[in-house]
Amino acid sequence: MNGLAWFGRVMWAFMRRELSALGGYRTAFIIRMLGLVLAIGAMVFLARFVGAAANPYLSGYGGNYLGFMVLGLLAAEFQQVGVSGLAERIRMAQMMGTLEAELATPAPPWMVLGAPPMYEFGAAAMRSAAYLIAATLLLGLELGRANWLSVALAVPLVIAAFSGLGLLAAGTTMLVRRLNPVAMIIGSLSFFLSGVLYPVSVLPGWLRALAQLLPLTHALAVLRGALLVGAGPAALARSFVALLIFAGVLAPVGAAVFAYALRRARIDGSLSHY
Amino acid sequence: MTAALAVVAEGLGKIFRPPADLGEMLRGRFYGAPLEALSGVSFTVGAGEIVCVMGPNGAGKSTLVRILGGLLMPSSGSARVSGVDVVTGGAAFRRRVAFVVGEERSFHFRVTGRANLHYFAALHGLSAADARRRSAALLERVGLASAADRRYREYSRGMRQRLALARGLLADPEVLLLDEPTLGLDPRGARDLRAFLRDDVIRKTGRTAIVCSNDPTEAKAMSDRVLFLDGGRLYADAPPDRIDAELGL
Repeated sequence: MNGLAWFGRVMWAFMRRELSALGGYRTAFIIRMLGLVLAIGAMVFLARFVGAAANPYLSGYGGNYLGFMVLGLLAAEFQQVGVSGLAERIRMAQMMGTLEAELATPAPPWMVLGAPPMYEFGAAAMRSAAYLIAATLLLGLELGRANWLSVALAVPLVIAAFSGLGLLAAGTTMLVRRLNPVAMIIGSLSFFLSGVLYPVSVLPGWLRALAQLLPLTHALAVLRGALLVGAGPAALARSFVALLIFAGVLAPVGAAVFAYALRRARIDGSLSHY
Repeated sequence: MTAALAVVAEGLGKIFRPPADLGEMLRGRFYGAPLEALSGVSFTVGAGEIVCVMGPNGAGKSTLVRILGGLLMPSSGSARVSGVDVVTGGAAFRRRVAFVVGEERSFHFRVTGRANLHYFAALHGLSAADARRRSAALLERVGLASAADRRYREYSRGMRQRLALARGLLADPEVLLLDEPTLGLDPRGARDLRAFLRDDVIRKTGRTAIVCSNDPTEAKAMSDRVLFLDGGRLYADAPPDRIDAELGL
């Protein structure tokens, strides 16, 4: 059977199982929805507060702090999903004992372990769409100038770069058998340096240089440029090249580290315990 | 002769190297003292045979079946199950062999038994329609049809073991590896499950089975032959009527 068709079956069954499990997480679901409403409320007041003053740092983003902030938070969440999602799933599966049972099936490891992050990215994309629609309808976010070609080119590169980081985090989680600090360090550094809530240009020179080493910095540059000021691929070439390098390096390195960790788990007998 | 052998193990050994504790790390070591779980274990199992592996806790039984199930790599030696190498066999190997573990943690607690089986059926490459048909048939066969749509967390221990068995049969494997299949069941439940395993699941279909157990009743009821392990070494290969003598009971 074609590997892609098989993966499609696994993905479909995985989604059905996750959606069926949602019934058992009613309280968590309600809390999450409440969190979403509060987050949108916070954005409204923050945008009203910051957006009232003419801000020279926002001139490159059409003076639109609401759009700037919404896109910053959405991209940060995407990174969080990519970096922590697989590591947390693997940690749980090892603790629960499901990882060993799943790896005992004929499905190759990439299929067993690929379904959860795909599902998480899909769910994050739906949440992002909901945020953008809410921000457009309720808060007046203007996306009329967006360059969708740039967005379409950026999304696969961003997902590949974040997935590479995720594989790296998941691999080290398996190796050290505890939730490793990679995801936390990358998440905190990115939130601080990559311009999630404020432009990188407000940072001192040496921190700006450091920010260039984080994929989220370039993901945000591309997404904000494309969605807020309608920049095309040529205008964003520098950030596209950086994302291409991150994706090209992080994805294979992450995959290699993860493959090594899986082999070690088969040697150490740690597939079924943590 | 070789064609009739379902399992061939030659000189299997396993040494675990646990992660170092802080004191060992400060002395520049990444691993703690090595632990030899299995040493020079060789045996064969004929096609259609039921072999029980017995021994005290820590004898190496689970390590042995995990190696035969391809879930653990041996440190030395080699093994072939259904003619396929356990280390390099890949998907072809995992289609022929099912590893059924008696412990209950290997399912998703918040979804139903049926949904759990559907997911594992997809991992076996079955289409959604085939997964539904196969799962329904197996749930019926293991006596869980009426409980199929209850969440796994609501299952009793016996029901969980039956579901694990149904999962093991999804791909219609040639060889079944059963690790303490009746662990924690009440005497009647254990007896019924043993009879079902022996008569319906193994004998009727001509499957080969290796069953780990430290229960003499189970070994006598199920096996054609018994392998005795202690301290990771195989010290006897005897018929079931020798169990009491070999265990010093």
